[in-house]
Amino acid sequence: MVHALEEIHRLLKPNGALIDIHPVSEPSRIELHQAEKVDLVGLLSVRQWCFEFEQADSALAEVIQQGLFTEERHALFDLPTHYASAAELGLDLKESVEIFARDAQAAIEPLPHLAVLTARAEELMRAAVSGAELIVHERTHISRLRPT
Amino acid sequence: MAIRIDPENNETPALSDMVDFSGQRVLEIGCGNGRVTWRYADKAAHVTGIDPDVKQIALAKEQLPSQLQDRIEFHSIAFEDFASASEASAFDIVILARSLC
Repeated sequence: MVHALEEIHRLLKPNGALIDIHPVSEPSRIELHQAEKVDLVGLLSVRQWCFEFEQADSALAEVIQQGLFTEERHALFDLPTHYASAAELGLDLKESVEIFARDAQAAIEPLPHLAVLTARAEELMRAAVSGAELIVHERTHISRLRPT
Repeated sequence: MAIRIDPENNETPALSDMVDFSGQRVLEIGCGNGRVTWRYADKAAHVTGIDPDVKQIALAKEQLPSQLQDRIEFHSIAFEDFASASEASAFDIVILARSLC
């Protein structure tokens, strides 16, 4: 990651800007939204993802410490993903975990709580009104860094 | 119904609060299917989106609006390969959207 940031520094004009966007290392809220009502389905925590987000934070901190970049601004925002069914949610999360493991050349992380969350979402969706949605909220960090 | 990422459009103001894309040459690393690219590309002078995933780049090219075709290019390439073939100081803005991790 640090080497990639060094290369980015080379590709940027001296007065350019690096914009980094990645989720914060904390569990994501899964909610059921129907009409005006919001119910918490549960919290999704994937250890491998959190580890990667922490690694990204560390790499950014390292290049700032090296004097390659200075952080000029940062903020947090909510990145929501909407699902029309519990099956869609379960399948997408399962695929995301598998793709992550493939790209990171790591073992697929066993997530017993994912099956529990999906079952709970299924139960809540069965009782929900038509048009209800499941939303995964990912708190996301965005920062602007200037090459120095 | 398809999965919808950020239909509330929270990401666009978060991006535009960080940087003014007007007239800028942008490199987006890990652009995937262009989901983030569409949020700022209309303001930029030129956007180069790269991603090693061939399928995602194909999707991005399919979805590329005709009015943006002259200023956006997508390439299926790893960042290391792209960087080694690129000149220094080529971009005003580099975006890493979930691609540092």
